[in-house]
Amino acid sequence: MSALKNKNCNYISNKEIKITFDGRSYSAYEGDTIASALLRNNIRLIGRSFKYHRPRGIYTCGIEEPNALVQILNEHNEPNTRATIKRAYEGINICSQNRWPSLSFDIGSINNILSPIFSAGFYYKTFMGPKGFWKKIYEPLIRRTAGLGKPPKNFRSKSIHQNHNVDILIVGGGLSGLLAARKLIDTDKQVLLVEQDSFLGGILNNSNKVKKIDGKNTFEWIQETEKLILKSNNIKILKNTLVTTYNFTNHLIALEDKFSGKKIDINKSELTLHKIRTTHTILANGHIERFISFRNNDLPGVMLASSFEKYIERYGVVPDEKPAIFTNNSSTISLVKSLINLNCKPCAYIDSRKKEDIEDETKEYLIKNNIPFYPESEVEGCEGNKKVEKVFIRNNSNKISSINSSMLCPSGGFNPDIHLFTQSKGLVKWDEKINSFKPDTAFQNTITLGSVSGNYEFKNLCEEINKKLSFLKVKDLNPEIETNIRDDFSIEELWETKTDKTSKWAKSFIDLHNDVTTKDLKQAINEGYDRIEHLKRYTTNSMGTDQGKISSINSLGIVSKILNKKISEVGTTTYRPPYAPLSFAAIAGRSTYEYYDPERKTPIHNWHIKNNAVFEDVGQWKRPWYFKKHETETMHQAVQRESKQTRRSAGILDGSTLGKIEIKGKDALEFMNLMYTNAFTKMKPMTSRYALMLGEDGMIMDDGIICKINDKHFIATTTSGGAPKVFAHMEEFLQTEWPHLQVYLNSITEQFTTFNISGPRTREIMRKVFTDIDFNNEKFPFMTFKTFNYKNTEARIMRASFTGELGYEIYISPQYALELWELIFKHGKDFDLVPYGTETMHLLRAEKGYVVIGQETDGTVTPIDINFNWMIGKKKKDFIGKRSLTRSDTVRDDRKQLVGIIPLNKSQFIEEGQHVVECENLPNKIKTPVEYLGHISSSYHSPNLNHCISMAMVKGGNKLMGKKLFVSTPKGTKNIPVEIVNPVFIDPENKRLTS
Amino acid sequence: MILINCPYCGEREQSEFTNGGEAHVIRPKDPDILNDKDWGQYVFYRSNPKGIFYERWVHTHGCRKWFNVVRDTSTDTILKIYKLTDNKPDISEFQSTLKSPSGEPIVGSGNFAVKK
Amino acid sequence: MTKLLSADGVDITQKNFQQILIRGDGKDQFNQVVNKEISLQPPSKNLELKTNDKCIFAKNSFDQWTLVYLVEQDYKEILKIISNLNLNDEILASDYSYGQVYFEVLGKNKNEFLNKLTQFDLRDKKFPDFSMAQTLIARIDCYIYKLNEKYIITCNKSYEDYFKKRLIDLINL
Repeated sequence: MSALKNKNCNYISNKEIKITFDGRSYSAYEGDTIASALLRNNIRLIGRSFKYHRPRGIYTCGIEEPNALVQILNEHNEPNTRATIKRAYEGINICSQNRWPSLSFDIGSINNILSPIFSAGFYYKTFMGPKGFWKKIYEPLIRRTAGLGKPPKNFRSKSIHQNHNVDILIVGGGLSGLLAARKLIDTDKQVLLVEQDSFLGGILNNSNKVKKIDGKNTFEWIQETEKLILKSNNIKILKNTLVTTYNFTNHLIALEDKFSGKKIDINKSELTLHKIRTTHTILANGHIERFISFRNNDLPGVMLASSFEKYIERYGVVPDEKPAIFTNNSSTISLVKSLINLNCKPCAYIDSRKKEDIEDETKEYLIKNNIPFYPESEVEGCEGNKKVEKVFIRNNSNKISSINSSMLCPSGGFNPDIHLFTQSKGLVKWDEKINSFKPDTAFQNTITLGSVSGNYEFKNLCEEINKKLSFLKVKDLNPEIETNIRDDFSIEELWETKTDKTSKWAKSFIDLHNDVTTKDLKQAINEGYDRIEHLKRYTTNSMGTDQGKISSINSLGIVSKILNKKISEVGTTTYRPPYAPLSFAAIAGRSTYEYYDPERKTPIHNWHIKNNAVFEDVGQWKRPWYFKKHETETMHQAVQRESKQTRRSAGILDGSTLGKIEIKGKDALEFMNLMYTNAFTKMKPMTSRYALMLGEDGMIMDDGIICKINDKHFIATTTSGGAPKVFAHMEEFLQTEWPHLQVYLNSITEQFTTFNISGPRTREIMRKVFTDIDFNNEKFPFMTFKTFNYKNTEARIMRASFTGELGYEIYISPQYALELWELIFKHGKDFDLVPYGTETMHLLRAEKGYVVIGQETDGTVTPIDINFNWMIGKKKKDFIGKRSLTRSDTVRDDRKQLVGIIPLNKSQFIEEGQHVVECENLPNKIKTPVEYLGHISSSYHSPNLNHCISMAMVKGGNKLMGKKLFVSTPKGTKNIPVEIVNPVFIDPENKRLTS
Repeated sequence: MILINCPYCGEREQSEFTNGGEAHVIRPKDPDILNDKDWGQYVFYRSNPKGIFYERWVHTHGCRKWFNVVRDTSTDTILKIYKLTDNKPDISEFQSTLKSPSGEPIVGSGNFAVKK
Repeated sequence: MTKLLSADGVDITQKNFQQILIRGDGKDQFNQVVNKEISLQPPSKNLELKTNDKCIFAKNSFDQWTLVYLVEQDYKEILKIISNLNLNDEILASDYSYGQVYFEVLGKNKNEFLNKLTQFDLRDKKFPDFSMAQTLIARIDCYIYKLNEKYIITCNKSYEDYFKKRLIDLINL
């Protein structure tokens, strides 16, 4: 660790740790970031730039870093980690990005030589031809070389979400944030203070601008403040937490790194995404220093002045003992003082302002300490082999001299960090005094304090805070703030310095992350891209992961000069969240893998598992898809077995997932008549009816069975997926359209467990299980239901089935559901009862030509299309969808209609989703579209008929009975010859169902 | 994500609600006498202005109540919440409350062209 | 009753309660009929709940109440109450006794813990004692009843496994 250590730094311990960078081992101290650790070891070269592969070093000391992006090999290897933020720990293994084979010898640097080709808008002008080259050559090559880092390893994050509801959120735990917090201690407001660093203090830690507060040194004052806050009962602090997003309505998102400075424990969540809803937001998130463009301003060794100062004060390391300093404003003198305090001396102080505009105190201090002083001068450029070696200075007589230096610290001024403010939709305004944009009109309940509001002078701070927080009606704060430098801020505009070098390879950068030069900006404007949004996209300026934090305002300055407009006329591009890279793992939180969607299980679930059910997802429900009789049984075998056995003896399905709605009230009958197509008026009590629900456009929305207890009391079933939708649909009409109808609804889906049992031997089983009920056909006809007492609970049996066999639906309280299910099996064993799943259910209903909502119907199918005219109550004056059934579109006779399809060759199988066509063979080269007559909506191999049966929606299908057509196949061009038949394949007279 | 002040439950997160489309679209009392064009107008057409919009919301994951909302669609600001049975508020009520987020032209009601 | 988890200032126990869900208009006749059956006047204020040793009676919505029995009752009695209430056209009472799952949540950190699963504002000033709310917790529709120092959270029984898994998963992270 050869760099000088600042022993006065409070945040670096003496504990040494070992880190690895690009395969070599180095020492550092606990508390170091990767950047400060590398600087401690005098490592200047940290990566290669995006486009030109130019050598790059550490430019800043914060989130705004454009160059020092690395990958952490011993973690998930996420690319583009900022070395200036990521804290080091014992054993951390880091590698640099975007270079091959090594940092010092990178083949990619050939791009730099080819750079005149890669100018602005290069992406839009190249790789156009010849034909075929894009797919075979350009794209694979670009994919290999694009991007900065390598993809991360496969891992499952454990990040979680944490919601907060507070009265006041303070963004930033620096001087302004801490003063605001002190005002709020023990008031009745619930406050959350969020700070991105591991320690509170902000500018108090990062610089030596402030000497004392209320007579205490800054470190003591911060500690005292923190103690007071922790003791209070209304303020909470979050550290290592960065606010990335500011949404409506005062809803902010912040990302917390829970393992900052530590090795990640894979059993704990490593990130927390904080979602904060607040009444007032106080933005005290400070400012960011900006750079200056000059020739080779990207060489390793160029580092922003206040970042250099932050390395000294906050991280206790002096990156270079005699840097050259280049500034256009009054703040940089504090860096000089930091160096002098450690017996170091800058090798030059270059100030672009006129001598008479420079502060007397600054001039005196420079002279007293013998620092070479260059007023009214600017840096023309710097040169060196992969690092700064010489700095060229142009003086006020236009003469250029050079000095030897290994570090150059520019300061182009400071930008209030307005990202969050503009995300909140606040308006900003250009301020001549600070030469930057500052917040002007807030759109939400937002208050800005301190440097983020454009207030750069400590003497104004308390007055600003007291004034802006006066609505809180708390006592004023007036601590005495003593500074180390003169408090008045002055700056002279300087965006880019002049260079004499006219070569194509002389580069002055305006965006370090994406390698955009000032020449690119000028070229783009020449080509007509003079609006700032176009310019940004054409040149990719400020589009990198750093969002141009240190440079985008500079680009506005340069553009305004070229266009001869005021900066306020040029405007800014839209600031979009997140403020800093936000991982998808954090956004997803815990809602991944098995927690992705809530899972719903029926009371019989464990029995299904014990009996080797394979499950499928139906909405949120887990339903048995099929049951494996033995380990090697395939799905096809299982389904064929279950289907055959159900039609031969008996089968039972757990139908608990279907929705059930209880409808009751004086006007229930009128309501049901309006919601469904059927006529319910003449329906007898204690009977059931299959019903259709349409949308107002006449299309089928859902179906179900309606049980009428009496004219004022109904129970409706719905499809499993449709239950919430149907309930909401009914509520909507009752509240918005027909509030005069006195009807109440309750969802009782979970209050009854449902079993569907069907097959020729069902009656015998039911008689054994329910000994008190008469199941004779005359006493218990088809589509009727009975209620009865089962162990002192109310149960119901309805005679209906979806399989076309004699069948019953049993509704039982969940309390006794499993017990009853097992009892049914106990008796059913003697009658060959088989459990079946959803796949068999689909097959059996297809053999009967019954439609499934969502399979035959897709939102474009009317009841008439599927031959359900008989379900429409013709005498009803009105119901939802009635008028739409007579629209010109719904009465067309070439609409797709439901038909059955069987292959002429009984050994062939028809796939669902295939097209019904007229031609026997598809042409090899399709020149004109093949006419499409319809599609196969359901298709199964029927074990009961021993051939494939399909249901299809075919244009004008009703008139095509007996016609020979063809169905396409997934492979090849030879289509399957088929015949259009009645979709009811088994027992068309329904004898099995009704006997 | 906006906060919605349910008339029954108070202020709740937007995720508890479902948007119900345009408000004050009344189902025709006698659909049979309408021709296809007029019936189609009711079934398929809704307005979609940038600016003041009268719409419905329902507190799906809460009390299930439907209510009306006046929202400025360009800023997502809720200007008024009122019951289904209340009269439709006049647009003049909202002119002075309009604010423009950064970059957008000042909005009123009706369709506006893209920002200049 | 089973203890689900107890750590870090959060205590969650799973319990079983019987429940009746009642829909009606809340007007005088409704109040009379209900009072006659269960000897309790239905709460009239939005989201208000009344409680005694035996039960919680809460107004969930403009037209809905839930009656949760904290002490087990003879189920026959509950069914009788329901069928008596249903004799009235203006009332719909449904038995919710065995289709729900209930969690009792206590502990000084219960708000922070629950706020990992829900955005609902649990602060005292927004969610006072003896009130209730319907909201989303772990993306499931839940009822949450606030009694002194504890919450009773209930949702459909089909979500039981998933909800328990989420709770246990989060306490360890």
